[in-house]
Amino acid sequence: MQTYFVGVDIGSLTVKVVLINNHLEIIGQMKTRAGYSGRDVANRLKEQLLIESGLKEQDVCATVATGYGRVTFPADREVSEITCQAKGIHHLFPTARTVIDIGGQDSKVIKLLSNGKVADFAMNDKCAAGTGRFLEVMASALEVEWQEIGEIVSSSKNPTQISSFCTVFAESEVISQVSAGTPKSDILAGVCDSVASRVASMTRKTGIEPDIVFTGGVAHNQGVVNALAKQLGYPLLVSREPVITAALGAALLAHEMNKV
Amino acid sequence: MPNAQSTKHNEPAKKRNYRPLVSTKALQKTMGRYYAITNYHRYWGKPLRRPLAWVTSGAPVELLRAFKIHSAYPEQYAAIYSARQATVSLCEVAETAGYSQDLCSYARSNIGGVLRPDLAPLGGMPKPDLLVACNNICGTVLKWYEVLARHFNVPLLVLDTPFLTGELTPQAKEYVLEQLNAMAVDLEKITGRKLNQQSLAEQMRRSAEITSLWKETRQYCQASPSPLNAPDLFIHMAPIVVLRGSQEGINYYRKLEAEVKERVKLGQGAVNNERIRLVWDNIAIWPQLFSFYKLFAEKGACFVTDTYSGGWAADHAPGTPMESLAATYTEVFLNRSPEYRANQLINLIRDYKANGFVMHSNRSCKPYSLVQEVIRRKVMRETGVPGLMIEADMADPRAYAEEPVRNRVQAFLETFDDLT
Repeated sequence: MQTYFVGVDIGSLTVKVVLINNHLEIIGQMKTRAGYSGRDVANRLKEQLLIESGLKEQDVCATVATGYGRVTFPADREVSEITCQAKGIHHLFPTARTVIDIGGQDSKVIKLLSNGKVADFAMNDKCAAGTGRFLEVMASALEVEWQEIGEIVSSSKNPTQISSFCTVFAESEVISQVSAGTPKSDILAGVCDSVASRVASMTRKTGIEPDIVFTGGVAHNQGVVNALAKQLGYPLLVSREPVITAALGAALLAHEMNKV
Repeated sequence: MPNAQSTKHNEPAKKRNYRPLVSTKALQKTMGRYYAITNYHRYWGKPLRRPLAWVTSGAPVELLRAFKIHSAYPEQYAAIYSARQATVSLCEVAETAGYSQDLCSYARSNIGGVLRPDLAPLGGMPKPDLLVACNNICGTVLKWYEVLARHFNVPLLVLDTPFLTGELTPQAKEYVLEQLNAMAVDLEKITGRKLNQQSLAEQMRRSAEITSLWKETRQYCQASPSPLNAPDLFIHMAPIVVLRGSQEGINYYRKLEAEVKERVKLGQGAVNNERIRLVWDNIAIWPQLFSFYKLFAEKGACFVTDTYSGGWAADHAPGTPMESLAATYTEVFLNRSPEYRANQLINLIRDYKANGFVMHSNRSCKPYSLVQEVIRRKVMRETGVPGLMIEADMADPRAYAEEPVRNRVQAFLETFDDLT
C-alpha cells in the first residue's frame, strides 16, 4: 500500500512543503512567500499540494515541521532545520560532508559524518550579513531582481570591495559606489564576494571537508555560488531545488518516524 | 551566584523539570544575613574599625579578613542586578555617561549603580573605604577599579598576577609574593592593625575547608543521575564567593553537602529522567537563568558540572599562608593557557561521564570567551563528544536572542536522538 509523508519548512522569507511516498519519491512540492502568518500559508500550501496530487489529509501518515515557524504548525513533530537539512542533503548527496545553507535570515554550515549524522554546526548570530536578506537589500538598492544577480555578475570585470560586515552600512557603501558611477555588475560582484567571504570563514570554523553541498535560496544565485567555490577552493554541489532540501528532510524524518 | 531569593519570581509556576533543594532556605538565610551586614556597614564599620573593601572575585580575601576588613563584590552584586532585571537600566546610565557597550556588563552595571543607586536592587552597594583588584580574572578590573578609586577617592590596591602560559614559575610566584607582602604593609596603614600571622593561618584553614566542602559536593555530581544541575551550582556558589574563610560559609556547605549526598544515596536526579549529561563553560546567563537552562532540563539534559563555579573548588597551594595565597591566586584557570583550559574540560567530561558540552560565548567576558573556539575544537577532537557554542552575555539581556538560541539548543540536543 502506498503511504505519504509531508515535510513543512516555515522559513523567515518562504514556506516550502514537500510530499513524498513510502518509496521516498517526491510526489510534489510547493513554495511561496511566508508573509505575515507562515502557519496559515503552510496550511494552505499543504492542502493545495494534496489536492493536486489527488490525495486527502487522511492519506498522510505523518507530517514534520521545521524552520522558524515550526512550533506554531500543527505537525506530528517539530525538528530543527539543522537536523532536517542534514537529512535532506544526505539523501540527495550521500557523499556530502559539509553543507552550506544560506537562507533568508540565517546562514549555517553543517558538518556531516559518513552516516549522515550531524557532527558539528555553525550559524550566523544577530546579524543579517551573509544571508539572503543581505542580498535582497543590496539588490533592491541597485534596482535589480535578485534572480538576475547571477547573470549581471558574470559580466563584472573589476569587482568592488564591500568592506562592511553590517547590512545597513554595506547598503550605504553600495549607494556611494552607485553615485561614483561604478558599473552595477562590479558592485553586485562585490556584494556576492562579501556574502561568500562571510560564509567561507564560518565554513573554515567547522572545517572544510568535501563534498560540499550548497543549499538554501541563495544557492540559486550563481554569483554567490562562484564566489564561494573560489574562496573555499572546492567545487560546490547544488541540487536542482536547493530551496526545498530542509522540507524534504522533514518529510524523510516523517517517514522514518512512522517506521518506528 | 545571586541570592536565591532574587530569582524566585523567575521560577515557572507549572510543573518543574527539576527538583528544588531544601538547602535553598539555609542559603537565603546565610546570604540575607551577609547582605544585611554589608548594607548596614556604615553603622558598624567605623566603631568596630572594620573598613569595607570592594574586591574582585579573584582577590586574596583571606588576607583582608585577617585585617578584619569586610569585603563586598561588585561582580556578585552585578549578577543580582541582572537576575532582578535591572541591568539594562543601569547599563544605560553608564552608557549615557560615556562607557562603551563593548565594556563588560558587570563593570557597566556596577558603574551605573554607583551613579544611580536608586535604580539598583538592594539600594546599590554600600560605599567602599578601599578597593582591591586582582587581574587574575581579567584586565578590565584594573581600569574599572581605577574609575571607582577616582569616584570614591579611596585607596586602590592592585595585585598583578602574571598570565601563565605553562606552569607557575618561581619568579612569577616571587613577584606575586612580594606584592602580597607590600599589600600587607598598606593594609596595616589603612586599618591601623598589625598583620596577625595566626589569624591569617586560621583564615587559610577555614578557606581550605570551605573549598573542599564545595569540591566534594560537586564531585557527588559524578553520580548518575546527577544530584545537581547548573542553576543549582550557580545559585549555591554565592557563599563560597563572599563567605570564603568564614564559619557561616562552612556551616552552610556542610548542610548542602549532606543534602546532595542523600540525593545520591536515594538515586534522586536534579533533572527528571536525566538522559544527556553536559558540561557548562563560562559564566551563567543570569538574566535567563531559568528559561535558558529549562530548554535543556525539559529534554532530560542536565549540566552535571561547569568550569565557572568550579573555579572556587581549586585546592590551596602548599607553603606558608602568604606563599599559598601567591600561588593559589595566580594559578586560577582564567589566568592560564588555552591548553590548560582544554585539558580541564576534557578531564571534566571524562570524570563526570558527560555526553557533550556547551560553551557560552560571553560578550562581556573576553578572557573567558576569546579562546573558546580553539578549546571547543580540541575538546571535541580528543573526547569525541559534541560541543555547542551559544552567544549571549552574563548580565546584559540585550545580547541574548531567544529564537536563535532555542534553534541551536534544539539542533544540538537532536544530535543525541539518532534522528539522522
